[in-house]
Amino acid sequence: MQYYKTTRGGGRYIGQTRNFTVYSDSIVPPIRVEKKPSEILPGELIFNYGPSTGGLIESVRIALPTPGEMIRSVAVDPAYKLRKLKLTGLSLFDAFMRVERINGYHSSSYQAAFIKAAEDALLIGDNRGIDDGLVLQMELERIRSHLNVLERLCEPAGFGVPYHQLAQMREEVARLISSIYGHRYFFGVHASLQSSPKISPGLTATANGLKKRFALLFESLQSSKIFVNRLQGTGKIEKPWLVGPVARAAGYRHDARTDSPSLNYEGYGFDPVVEDGKDAFARFLVRGNEILSSFAIVDQVISNGKPESAGLKDMHGTGIGASRVESPQGDLFCYLTLKDGMVENIEFCSPSISNIIAFELSMQGNIFTDFHFNWESFGIWISEAGVEIE
Amino acid sequence: MKNTIWFLKGIRNGRKTEKFPSTNPEEPPLWPSRLVGSGTPECPTRAFDGGKWNSGKCISCRLCLPDYQPTGDQSIHNIKGKVQKMLSRSFYLYPVDSGTCGACNTELLSILAPQFDASRLNIFFTNTPRHADALVLMGVYTQGMEQVIAKAYEAMPEPKLVISLGACAISGGIIGKEPLLARGSLIEISGCPPSPYTILEALVRAKEGKT
Ligand code: SF4
Ligand code: SF4
Repeated sequence: MQYYKTTRGGGRYIGQTRNFTVYSDSIVPPIRVEKKPSEILPGELIFNYGPSTGGLIESVRIALPTPGEMIRSVAVDPAYKLRKLKLTGLSLFDAFMRVERINGYHSSSYQAAFIKAAEDALLIGDNRGIDDGLVLQMELERIRSHLNVLERLCEPAGFGVPYHQLAQMREEVARLISSIYGHRYFFGVHASLQSSPKISPGLTATANGLKKRFALLFESLQSSKIFVNRLQGTGKIEKPWLVGPVARAAGYRHDARTDSPSLNYEGYGFDPVVEDGKDAFARFLVRGNEILSSFAIVDQVISNGKPESAGLKDMHGTGIGASRVESPQGDLFCYLTLKDGMVENIEFCSPSISNIIAFELSMQGNIFTDFHFNWESFGIWISEAGVEIE
Repeated sequence: MKNTIWFLKGIRNGRKTEKFPSTNPEEPPLWPSRLVGSGTPECPTRAFDGGKWNSGKCISCRLCLPDYQPTGDQSIHNIKGKVQKMLSRSFYLYPVDSGTCGACNTELLSILAPQFDASRLNIFFTNTPRHADALVLMGVYTQGMEQVIAKAYEAMPEPKLVISLGACAISGGIIGKEPLLARGSLIEISGCPPSPYTILEALVRAKEGKT
């Protein structure tokens, strides 16, 4: 491990893995926190939502004890669709095929975290082409992911036109990704050096056209009083341990793109987008502005970079590595032990775990009609929270 | 007032819907699509058992390159028997995520995007299995969802269909060990994840009772 210390430093809290408490600059033994089961008070009932219902993209059970209109507390159970992934004993490449499917919607972030941890373990120095490739993937992924959250925020508000326009843009980004990588979710991109990204001459114009149309729509949504009213004051949360857009919407500059050495964002003129409203509207603003800043990074990589594939098939060796990258929902940490090119131990700290806790806290005292807006504003992925990795 | 402004913005955006499936897909992905080639190359999911490519096992890992090449052909679905023609003109789907990575879920929802607009083909989603014509199962088998799937199937009115969507549900893919349903299902939509083109084409054929 070239960067992470094993004694507590001064960095911010990121989260927990199976065997570690992770800070931004160190990993130390885990803190075990027992979660108390929620109790029902006299006169209350528990409203159970899920695990399978139309309003949810993934299977999850959300229990809401309530005396009526107001929600007193919330408990999210991601274990209904618990998947078990055995990665130890596999070669780097065999493990990688499973890692990119921990959260298929954010597969690039998992790919980047894994590749960077492997490079750290094998003492492979930074390769600008590979870093450009990972940055390009991750920023395209961020654009699509944020578009998806914004689209899902328009749905419960009954905003049909912007909902469909955002869905159209999301599909356009999927096609852009497919034209560069051959796959709409980046799967198989790092199989070999043969699968390096293909940048076509018209790509910059396509991306810029999309950016302009999004900027206009984003502006229109911000000037819609009805839309803004639905989000303002909903699901307020401010804690120093928050990650990703949720942290940045609460005034924190937490962003692995600027405070992690794992992936090189130097030279892109990138600065975290920060808002201070702490609510669903602030999270909407952060995501919308990040779509624009990610487009700017994509433009720079396409114009000046030489993105490459990591060619994982050719990586072998022994060592311990760790990495932290900024997935669309926040810090994603990976710890990896390799022996002769085989995985001995692997642990992830996923942002959805932190975001689930933040969502639960932010819901307290809100009313039922806020539930959907607030849930969508956190952009939680159950696939990465309901998974057991060995 | 609000509705009028947004309506005008919508009109100004113009028509974005493709004519697919009555014409060819405008921008099909290469992965997943039908693979053609020869031999029995290395494959992590044994998709070449018996010397023939099995789309239901393929996870688009690209390890079989260059022996096998993607064609862009999106017709990688399998209707394994006689599908009873639906009684109504509309086709209502109730999706259940048994254990997905999230990508099958989002590709299924993409058929609602303006480029595909499944509703013009009378294909809709429903929030309850009681109104569903087809149960769309995604992901690997997980213990926690077994009862949920069984109850959803029970609640559906006859005639009812079960559709397996994605390599995980069809064969276990790279994450699972076996198909999600021990006996499999009548309709399989291949891909990891299947593209909206493949999904839409398979749903239209299922709705019309075509094999
Ligand atoms: S692309 Fe499909 S068929 Fe080829 S090796 Fe991978 S899983 Fe097997
Ligand atoms: S088939 Fe592929 S895309 Fe679908 S859930 Fe499984 S791993 Fe994810």
